[in-house]
Amino acid sequence: MESLYLLLPLSVLLVLALIGVFGWAVNAGQFDDLDREGWRVLEENRSETAGTARTPFDPDQA
Amino acid sequence: MSFQRANVNPSMPFSAAAPGQVGNAELPEDDKAALGDSTRWFTDDAGVHVADSVFALQGMYCAACSGVIEAALQALPGVLQVEVNAASRRAKVRWNPVRVKLAQMFKAVEAAGYRAVPAQHEALRVARQRESRQALWRLFVAGFCMMQVMMLVAPAYVAAPGEIATDLEALLRWAAWVLSLPVLLFSAGPFFTGAWHALRQHRIGMDVPVALGIVITFVAGTAVTFDPTGPFGREVYLDSMTMFVTFLLAGRWLESRARARSTEALDDLLQRMPDSVERIDDAGRSETVLASRLRVGDRVRVALGQAFPGDGELIDGSTQIDEALLSGESRPVERRVGESVVGGTVNVGVPVLVRLSCVGEGTRYRQIVDLVQRALAERPQMLRTADRWAGPFLWGVLVMAALAAAAWSVIDPSRALWVAVSVLIVTCPCALSLAAPAALLSAAGALARCGVLVQRLDALETLARTDTACLDKTGTLTQDRLVLAHIGIHEGADRGAMLARAASLAALSHHPLSRALTQALPAPQGEWSAVREVAGQGIQARDAQGRLWQLGSPAWVGVQASAARPVVAFAQVSGRPEDTAIFEFDEALRADAGQALQQLHAQGVAVRLLSGDSQASVDAVARRLNISQAQGAATPEGKLGALSALQAEGHCVLMVGDGVNDGPVLARADVSFALAHGSALAQQRSDFIVLGSRLAEVPAARALAKRTVSVMRQNLLWALLYNAACVPLALAGLLPPWAAGAGMAVSSLAVVLNALRLSR
Amino acid sequence: MTQSIPALAAPVYSDRVVRNFALASVLWGVVGMLVGVLIAAQLTWPELNFGISWLSYGRLRPLHTNAVIFAFGGCALFASSYYVVQRTCQVSLFAEKLAMFTFWGWQAVIVAAAISLPMGYTQGKEYAELEWPIDILITVVWVAYAIVFFGTIGTRKVRHIYVANWFFGAYILAIALLHIVNSAAIPAGAMKSYSAYAGVQDAMVQWWYGHNAVGFLLTAGFLGMMYYFIPKQAERPVYSYRLSIVHFWALIFTYMWAGPHHLHYTALPDWAQSVGMVFSLVLLAPSWGGMINGVMTLSGAWHKLRDDPILKFLIVALSFYGMATFEGPMMSVKTVNALSHYTDWTVGHVHAGALGWVGLITMGSLYYMVPRMFGQTKMYSVRAIELHFWVSTIGIVLYIAAMWIAGVMQGLMWRAVNPDGTLVYSFVESVKATFPFYVVRLVGGLLYLGGMLIMSWNVVKTALNGRTVSAPIPAVAMA
Repeated sequence: MESLYLLLPLSVLLVLALIGVFGWAVNAGQFDDLDREGWRVLEENRSETAGTARTPFDPDQA
Repeated sequence: MSFQRANVNPSMPFSAAAPGQVGNAELPEDDKAALGDSTRWFTDDAGVHVADSVFALQGMYCAACSGVIEAALQALPGVLQVEVNAASRRAKVRWNPVRVKLAQMFKAVEAAGYRAVPAQHEALRVARQRESRQALWRLFVAGFCMMQVMMLVAPAYVAAPGEIATDLEALLRWAAWVLSLPVLLFSAGPFFTGAWHALRQHRIGMDVPVALGIVITFVAGTAVTFDPTGPFGREVYLDSMTMFVTFLLAGRWLESRARARSTEALDDLLQRMPDSVERIDDAGRSETVLASRLRVGDRVRVALGQAFPGDGELIDGSTQIDEALLSGESRPVERRVGESVVGGTVNVGVPVLVRLSCVGEGTRYRQIVDLVQRALAERPQMLRTADRWAGPFLWGVLVMAALAAAAWSVIDPSRALWVAVSVLIVTCPCALSLAAPAALLSAAGALARCGVLVQRLDALETLARTDTACLDKTGTLTQDRLVLAHIGIHEGADRGAMLARAASLAALSHHPLSRALTQALPAPQGEWSAVREVAGQGIQARDAQGRLWQLGSPAWVGVQASAARPVVAFAQVSGRPEDTAIFEFDEALRADAGQALQQLHAQGVAVRLLSGDSQASVDAVARRLNISQAQGAATPEGKLGALSALQAEGHCVLMVGDGVNDGPVLARADVSFALAHGSALAQQRSDFIVLGSRLAEVPAARALAKRTVSVMRQNLLWALLYNAACVPLALAGLLPPWAAGAGMAVSSLAVVLNALRLSR
Repeated sequence: MTQSIPALAAPVYSDRVVRNFALASVLWGVVGMLVGVLIAAQLTWPELNFGISWLSYGRLRPLHTNAVIFAFGGCALFASSYYVVQRTCQVSLFAEKLAMFTFWGWQAVIVAAAISLPMGYTQGKEYAELEWPIDILITVVWVAYAIVFFGTIGTRKVRHIYVANWFFGAYILAIALLHIVNSAAIPAGAMKSYSAYAGVQDAMVQWWYGHNAVGFLLTAGFLGMMYYFIPKQAERPVYSYRLSIVHFWALIFTYMWAGPHHLHYTALPDWAQSVGMVFSLVLLAPSWGGMINGVMTLSGAWHKLRDDPILKFLIVALSFYGMATFEGPMMSVKTVNALSHYTDWTVGHVHAGALGWVGLITMGSLYYMVPRMFGQTKMYSVRAIELHFWVSTIGIVLYIAAMWIAGVMQGLMWRAVNPDGTLVYSFVESVKATFPFYVVRLVGGLLYLGGMLIMSWNVVKTALNGRTVSAPIPAVAMA
């Protein structure tokens, strides 16, 4: 199972990197206001469509 | 971690506005002092002078509100950046003071349907936030590494001996060891610091056995990693260690989240506008200044409903003053020109001019605050049950492990060490360590749902032991208003007409008794002219028929009435005896006061009334509520004395109060309840805050506290039984470390599940 | 910023590359599914290779898998990740020219695959068949992708990084790692190389790669899509944003160890197989957590499913995700695997996930993005979307039902033993018995391809009727 000599140290390094990333995220306040952030994607509605040059022909508009 | 609260600024007396509402005067123009530590002033890269402020937001009930508030502020020119945090209900705003004013920003938020005030104690809140983030990181590291370690040791569990190549086994062990390091060095940090602090104070708190358990397991695991053929055998220890740490951290994290919610709720209540006052200078011009800037000799105008910003002398205008601060009495007291007024009492009559003789330090208000601080320091120390057990328990464990090692070194030396280690691991302090917090947390959650905020979790234990309850009268047992108790109208008079006439005349006066009368009587009817209000006596006017009527104190109106309770007389001047009416008032009792006291009696708690109000009114209320022991006319010092006497007799006392003058006795009582409508000082120093001001929650909380203590005892008993069963097995060498670790997990889980029953 | 700023000066999103990738995804979807239909037909009627080497099953199968995973799925992931990262960070793409390079580079990879695979050049490792020069091109494009994506996050105007971006970021980094490790090879010619690993070691590395590719490309990447497009289409926030964060972390650290379940009853040591089984079962929890989170987003708005075919795509995709992530752990249990390994049940499982989860979520997301790439809010024909949905779903159901039955039947037939120890059935008998199911599967696949053709028509019409207009970036609220 020599492949594990590669895969295991790799995953250990990966884990250490991941807990570092989490630490950065927590201290940067990424998890401070979670409910609000869930809503934020719905707030930026203004950018959804730019003005239309022509009104699209759409007989099936529901 | 002890629960720190910032001190109340003693030079800012409390206005009549309830905590959490905006103070009655406008904030002086962007006063830097007003904004305090909520704002940082600096010059940005473009050389523009800007301010970074944090505002506390009120009225936010949903996460979607954030966008609305951000948009409202962003629309103002001069507001450079806005970030609203729904979780902490704070807005961070970067603004240019030249282009936009504070008042404009607050108005914009109000227009959107919310309220903003400069955030107070912001530094404290930020520090709390940093702590809670660190705790989350620790928990994550522990959990993540625990999962990885478990994966890495899983082959050792599933493989038959010899199935895995030696090199590979070593690799798996090393990887597991490396990933246990962050758990030991970072996540478990609080346990080691806690244990160190306890040991330095020469006592053994709960952290000591926990820290010991972690260290021993890690050392054993390290030994196995470096020397698999050594005395620790081919056992696995590191998964137990990481699991142990994760569970304990999870318990602590949940505890701190519950406490934080409590703190935040209280924080919301206490966020208010700094008080500002109208000062008149020598030339007669008025300016609005912060209360904290007043000096002795300043002349200030105190409006209706405002608190006096310091001790002083009335120099213009006679008025009535609500001196609940001093006496607890809700009946306003008359003060004329030249008489002195006390800082913190509330002007309920007419606007007056006061020359200040004392501000800040020397005021009576400040004296009461000092009394509170001292009382708190002298409060009986409360040690957690588990902590008391920790010492003897630890010694017992160490002795047994040593004996086991000694015995086995004779019987079969190769097992001596790991048997000793098994003994240490299986006598898991997990259950003990979680027994109390899990139960307390669960109970706190249940209480929160009923509207009772728990400020000190440990107070639940004491609450279960209380046998005497002291209650304040005004505001606690009674509501802050008077109810019409009796109407005396002469038989020959037209009752309906008299009442309507009285109501309409009463509507013209601002006196509290008039207000109570207006609320109690049916529709007013009558037109009045030549209205004249005489301070402290009553109001008189001519009706449509030109007759002169008087409404006010019986003596002034010229009517006989008893002085037992507040009375208002209404009569026509020089009229017939039929044209008189007497209105007698009672203090309005809280709807559930009777029920609450009954429940307390049923639980075997002796009830006493402790009030600053006159003995007569105290006795009246005591009679209505069936309270046998009632003490009136008590100053804050007097209340404290009565309480100490009870404690000296060996009683465990719970105190329910709301006023500033209750502050010292709330701080000193074994357990204290503050009602939410009351003063911020009372709330700060209490163990529990009843949010709806519902008295019935007090006996309910006590009943829950008793259940909590019983659950805690069950948990401790379980921990004991578990140990009693497993320790012999470990001593006999029948319990391998992996089983010890599993036992640890199961016992912790059982404790937590048992505690969850409390939250139903 | 006030309205007095003229529109021309306002910053706009970099949507040209998004548009390109979206259209490419639709094109390669048709191509990949067409090849799939062809090889399904070949399994049914082997003479359909017409004796031509580059139409042989062995060469076309990897073309199909690479085309649907990396061309169809890959382009859709590029399009979505570029679309979502810009809008959630409220900033245009970092190094837009580099982003355009990733587009052309990726198309080059696809074309190179389309040419080299039928010509027979292969490394023989599943989902990693492409030879070493193409592997290098993939690495270069991927590094550019990472720079663009993480650069955009680094220059964001919104402080919080939306959860979808965490999924995208993880998928990008994971694929980079997996690709580099697994494709390590020693070249022995312009289009020939030998794997750096040998024998069962190679198998272990391959399936560490294989399952993580499934976990990070086919799952994490598309979950990123899900977490953005479902809230946007349903106009409701994710059911529990907190849960989505927990979902993310739980998923990434459990996936790494599930790989061995592909190698049950092989030369892989027994203990490694057991570990793989245990952690594949553990994987069930985070997967279902994510599924419930996505589906419950519609809580209180279920009626929208009735009228909105795009939501149908997105939500039904999640239910197939749930199904596949339940089926997978079940199949990783050794006893079950003893029956299912090497049978068509595995194929059924793959396609439930691929057609059901990956396909449908991609289609739903593309139906959201494409109109907006052409200045509109709706596709040219909403009825065609509805038709596409039903046609595809029926196709999926036919496909997987056929494969389940075939798979279980094969497993039972192969293990049927006479009292004297000899096999009851010869192999060819099981092949004959499978024939009708291959026909049904082919029909299912044709329906699915048909749906894709309907989509292509709809997309073309939408593009012709709209105009490519730049979408302005909204005024910045904060830092």
